[in-house]
Amino acid sequence: MNVFNGIFGERIFKAATLSALIFFILFLVGIVVSMICYISSDRFISILFSKEIIFAIKLSLITATIAVLISVAIGIPAAYALSQTEFWGKDIIDTILDLPIVISPIALGAALLIFFSTPIGSGIEEHGIKFVFVIPGIILAQFVVVSALCIRLMKSTFDAIGSRYEDVARTLGCNKFQAFFKVTLPLAKNGLLAAGILTWARAIGEFGATVTLAGATAMKTETLPIAIFLSLASADVEKAIAVILILIIISITSLFAIRKIAGSGWSI
Amino acid sequence: MIKIHDLDVDVGEFHLRDINIEIKKGEYFVILGPTGSGKTVLVECMAGIHNPCKGEIWFNDGNVTLLTPEERETGYVPQDYVLFPHLNALENIQFGLKIKNHSKKEIEKRVGEVTNRLNIKNILYRQNPKTLSGGEKQRVALARALIIKPRLLILDEPLSALDPRTHEELQRELKRIHKEIKTTTIHVTHDFEEAISLGDRIAVMNNGKIIQIGTPDEIFRKPKTESVAKFVGAENLFKGKVIYSDNGKGISRIRIHGMDTNIFSLTEKVGAVYVSIHPEDIVLSEAVCKCYNDKNILKGKIVNIMDKGSLVRIIVDVSIPLTVLLTRRAYLETELKKGSEIYVIFKAMNVHVF
Repeated sequence: MNVFNGIFGERIFKAATLSALIFFILFLVGIVVSMICYISSDRFISILFSKEIIFAIKLSLITATIAVLISVAIGIPAAYALSQTEFWGKDIIDTILDLPIVISPIALGAALLIFFSTPIGSGIEEHGIKFVFVIPGIILAQFVVVSALCIRLMKSTFDAIGSRYEDVARTLGCNKFQAFFKVTLPLAKNGLLAAGILTWARAIGEFGATVTLAGATAMKTETLPIAIFLSLASADVEKAIAVILILIIISITSLFAIRKIAGSGWSI
Repeated sequence: MIKIHDLDVDVGEFHLRDINIEIKKGEYFVILGPTGSGKTVLVECMAGIHNPCKGEIWFNDGNVTLLTPEERETGYVPQDYVLFPHLNALENIQFGLKIKNHSKKEIEKRVGEVTNRLNIKNILYRQNPKTLSGGEKQRVALARALIIKPRLLILDEPLSALDPRTHEELQRELKRIHKEIKTTTIHVTHDFEEAISLGDRIAVMNNGKIIQIGTPDEIFRKPKTESVAKFVGAENLFKGKVIYSDNGKGISRIRIHGMDTNIFSLTEKVGAVYVSIHPEDIVLSEAVCKCYNDKNILKGKIVNIMDKGSLVRIIVDVSIPLTVLLTRRAYLETELKKGSEIYVIFKAMNVHVF
């Protein structure tokens, strides 16, 4: 008799898999709880409303929003092309698109920094927009890190919808544009919104590329992750914890929003 | 009139070759073929969803081969309906008219017409088309296609996904609607009973090729190839060889493959052939009298009797197994049972050779 046979084996299996999950959740919760215990609520509030942190929150929200808006504006058509259009080299582009997702953000930031010291890059810096060590650099760094993720997520939305709805819409008299705007886009709305929020949450947390391209200057290019970095550098643990908690709150809110949106859609 | 000329299409795993079809104005044309034969690809090509790599498609006097779907005005009802999930039933039906900016009054009038015709007034405001039953979805999809007054109506397996009762009901309705509005219609199916009962003409398709086009009678009584015969369910299909043909009298003798059974027919073919005899053309008799001038009289033994409701199927072994159909009443009047010796009689002209 094998002990793994029958209902007993089923229970062992369930216990083993569930305990791995519970261990992992306790681990995460434990870290957060220990941080919350470290800081008093008065201290948290006073840090939260300090001039520097208000600035960091504002800067993070604004830069992430702009980076995501640009990502979405480029991402919707790009994701549609990748999902619905057949073209030569699609596999290669598909693979290249994964690169910014897996590559270290600091490498991307460094690459951008180096680019702006080349003749073309410095030309842009001098005659166009300045990026290095200023706020536009934050937006560019976030955009480079999150845009591929945004396209990926949006592509899967278009993949799920497929081309059938548009095919039928076109037999009913829609041209390609009408078919997209009257059928595919309304059907994709929730998926695209969820993709946007997830991308935004990722942009808020972006550090590596931002610090490399825009630097870490307090009250100038200080986003929330950079605020954590600066606090730790000056050994202000309480401040670091306060900012970490703010980031956690923003992330959890975004994730719940995505859940809500994803649950309310039309089933395709 | 719809004309498809020498069409080749490659879509995914489907390769359609040498498709030639002419459909008359107002005709109900059925494309019959097994799953995977490329029927859907063919009709989607006519709707403009796929582009052919060779050949031409003409609607009336216009070459539409290079036109996009919206320029072709076909009403396409896909197999899975593809109702727009973000619109309710009414909005789905109005879709084609709204896109073309028809007036409110015109839209209202046409919705009234089409929903009356299809009997779907009561479900128009159901918010989510997912909650409609299969038959209701099919009607909404049909209404959505009909409302644009298409030059060609394409129905892809319109009855396949429905339960038997709805299937029958909708089949009757398709017939009635076609009679009323006379839109040229292409109906794709794998069900040959559906094909006979609806089609003015049928094209049999297999492996991306049109094998035979004809009236239901031609297809079912004179299948051109073995695969057509098999697919349309021709019974009493045998391989044989013409061993004697007397074209003066028009009678030829066919030896059934591997047997010493001979069958007379009127074919002028020579060499290896297929022979099929329709079960309903065969008469059973307990004795032979001179009054029969039928050429084929074979003696055999009943090996099986299958009760199929109103029809009784009797298998007689005359060295080859022949299926004979009797009406239930005729069967009950005889005393046929398994093992009875019997003569099977059929006319040479009813022996179909191909």
